[in-house]
Amino acid sequence: MNARTHPVPEQFDDPVQQREAATLGMWAFLATEILFFGVLFAGYTLCRVRFPEAFAEASRHTDMLLGTIETAVLLTSSCAVALSVREVQLGGRRLATALLGVTALLGISFLVMHGFEYYAEYQEGLIPSIHYTQQGVYAHGMAIFYCLYYFITGFHSIHVTIGVVLMGVMGWRTWHGAFDQDYHTPLELTALYWHLVDIVWIFVYPVIYLVGRAG
Amino acid sequence: MSTVELPLPRSYLEEGFGLRSWLLTHDHKRIGVLYGLGITFFFFLGGLAAALIRWELVTPAGDLLSAETYNKAFTFHGVVMVWFFLIPSIPSTLGNFLLPLMIGARDVAFPRLNLFSWYLYMVGGIFTLACLLLGGVDTGWTFYTPFSTMFSNSHVLMAVVGVFIVGFSSIFTGLNFIVTIHTLRAPGMTWMRLPLFVWAMYAVALVMVLATPVLAMTLSLIGLERLFGVGIFDPALGGDPVLFQHFFWFYSHPAVYIMILPAMGLVSELITHGARRRIFGYKFMVYAIIGIAVVGFLVWGHHMFVAGQSMYASIVFSILSFIIAVPSAIKVFNWTATLYKGDISFDAPMLYALGFVGLFMLGGLTGLFLAATALDVNLTDTYFVVAHFHYIMVGGAVMAYLGGIHYWWPKITGRMYSEAWARFAAILMFFGFNLTFFPQYILGVEGMPRRYHEYLPQFQVWNVLSSAGATILGVAYLLPLLYLAWSLRHGARAGPNPWDATGLEWQTASPPPPHNFDVTPTVTEGPYAYRR
Amino acid sequence: MNARPQRTHKSGPRPPSLGSNLWTLLALLVLLGLSAGSALLRLGPFNTVANLGIAVIKALLVLTIFMRLKTDNALLRIVASVGFAWLAVMIALGLADVLTRTPLLPPW
Repeated sequence: MNARTHPVPEQFDDPVQQREAATLGMWAFLATEILFFGVLFAGYTLCRVRFPEAFAEASRHTDMLLGTIETAVLLTSSCAVALSVREVQLGGRRLATALLGVTALLGISFLVMHGFEYYAEYQEGLIPSIHYTQQGVYAHGMAIFYCLYYFITGFHSIHVTIGVVLMGVMGWRTWHGAFDQDYHTPLELTALYWHLVDIVWIFVYPVIYLVGRAG
Repeated sequence: MSTVELPLPRSYLEEGFGLRSWLLTHDHKRIGVLYGLGITFFFFLGGLAAALIRWELVTPAGDLLSAETYNKAFTFHGVVMVWFFLIPSIPSTLGNFLLPLMIGARDVAFPRLNLFSWYLYMVGGIFTLACLLLGGVDTGWTFYTPFSTMFSNSHVLMAVVGVFIVGFSSIFTGLNFIVTIHTLRAPGMTWMRLPLFVWAMYAVALVMVLATPVLAMTLSLIGLERLFGVGIFDPALGGDPVLFQHFFWFYSHPAVYIMILPAMGLVSELITHGARRRIFGYKFMVYAIIGIAVVGFLVWGHHMFVAGQSMYASIVFSILSFIIAVPSAIKVFNWTATLYKGDISFDAPMLYALGFVGLFMLGGLTGLFLAATALDVNLTDTYFVVAHFHYIMVGGAVMAYLGGIHYWWPKITGRMYSEAWARFAAILMFFGFNLTFFPQYILGVEGMPRRYHEYLPQFQVWNVLSSAGATILGVAYLLPLLYLAWSLRHGARAGPNPWDATGLEWQTASPPPPHNFDVTPTVTEGPYAYRR
Repeated sequence: MNARPQRTHKSGPRPPSLGSNLWTLLALLVLLGLSAGSALLRLGPFNTVANLGIAVIKALLVLTIFMRLKTDNALLRIVASVGFAWLAVMIALGLADVLTRTPLLPPW
């Protein structure tokens, strides 16, 4: 489908109205995502109030260096996809496709690094109900921390995976000239989704990796 | 455009007759009808479970159903009625059908998403039915932990998956409505000219979009806890069951407003038409709708006064729960003021609407009893609570839904129903309903707990009355099914505006053409431009 | 047919400059470094404050620049804020319970 012949669906009057509807719809969806992840963050907050020491202790068992690198990777990927949208808006195609490829690769590298983290935690006995070997007064509180950690990062990784697939699709469509200055809404919406996944991680980083590092 | 003279616009019903033309349709009107079929099916299924419950409770001994089967019956009744009937009832059927018509649009903003959400609804329904066939679930519709995660031996996962899926159906419907109302209003249709039903749809869409993801994640957590035996919600493992209740009611209390807000909007349409007057205090009605939707998010803790929640939090939630009575009261006063000096006609939709106002008031006022922390300790988990929320959900939402179905029946089908039968059913329903649920208030005050299949002999009189009322109510619900179905073939043909009502939906043909309007209408005045 | 005139200007807000995107990335990475560094200092409760504060700034940067809330439709800013506001309500009222709960001893 060529961007220039992209028809406006019959319920809309013109392309401007169509874009308004699409972006508003996407943002409403992102608001639901905020609350979807929000439950886990709220659960984390309420549980941390009950087990402050255990949460600090558990957080010290996470891999701060890897966590920091993962954060940097996601932030960079966000910039890459933002630049890709910009490039399409300015009429570019090759560079835009390349930037989407970079985004997807950064996303994949994030997932791989996270896989290594999970594996290390498995060996250390930090996965409740699968392999959990922690003992002592903090064992229960740490188990709750790790449950929340796996739920949050698990759901986040699912979102990253979806994002990588979408980046692939968008890259393919961009390469084949589906988008131009006038019509690029799907690309724009995919970028919004990717940024939101990034924002979730921005909050994961301090609450999972940085608690009790100084003590 | 085309030089060939087009024949008269066909109606949306004649656009295609095959199954494919329905199952792959993008037309909001057809999707509304599909939803209508789905929720009618689930309504009678849930009603069957209610019949079992009332039948069991005729005698004090638990003789008809075992305790376990009884638990499964009321759980099934709750799950089906809440998620597969009440929540999609007005928004997904009448809302889908009417919203674009009322704002002068050709369709909703995302027609494919609209169809997708119907499929999600059906898939969620299939999971719930499968759960029933496999042996059911016994946790109550609230899935309270740790029972649901650690102890229940029934098919909790299956039920949770079903509800999770249907949750996304309502998220997508809500999203579609928000975008449609924001972007697709006809020229001149300013925000303060929107019919109150559209405002109610907007408010309900906000609640759906902001609350349902919380339910989705909470149910996922139940599933994960059950699968892996971990314990965020399990006190034995250091977890906190009250945390689950916080999350659950963060969704499920606003969910009550998902059920009642559309009913309120709808009744505003019925009452203005029935009294042939402009609504009294349009702006206050709008603010009250939005106020209820927003404050409705801040009151969830009143479900947890005896659950171990901090007493200070309980006080806050109690005060907020009293506050939400204010906008609800404003609406009741404004409906009453609208009736004042009106040309009131007691046709069927109006009877349903008036029934709604009365029953909603009783349900709302008893809600204040339960919002008072001290009194609530006495009344928690008694039949008083059961009666209270049935007055809101059945007396309120279902009455309004049926009133709306009657009012817009000529628009949807192009046929008139039998007015005499409709009035008879409405009155029978009102009496049957009160006979069923008013005794439950008394039972609750006398201390009969809910969710048991046996009870003390002194409660039998009221229980027999309640079961007798339920039988009448059941008949009253079957009647519309019969005479409305009859009207599909034998009813008189309806013109575009059989009621002489205002509103854009009455300006187009009945049933409307596929794209609603031949010419996009231009709006020049506010809603309800009746005689005075 | 259509009552509204067709509007055909280029869709969307004007793209932000290359520089602003790159500066934003740089700022995000610097903030990430600050966040990691401050976590290693012994600041007591201010560790949490600093970490969350930095996370909020980072999120705002992504929202305004990368997601273009700064230049796009005001309605979108409202939608985004509502999402976060509702989450704040959930956490605040939930905390109101957990922070003021009196421990109830089991009767056994």
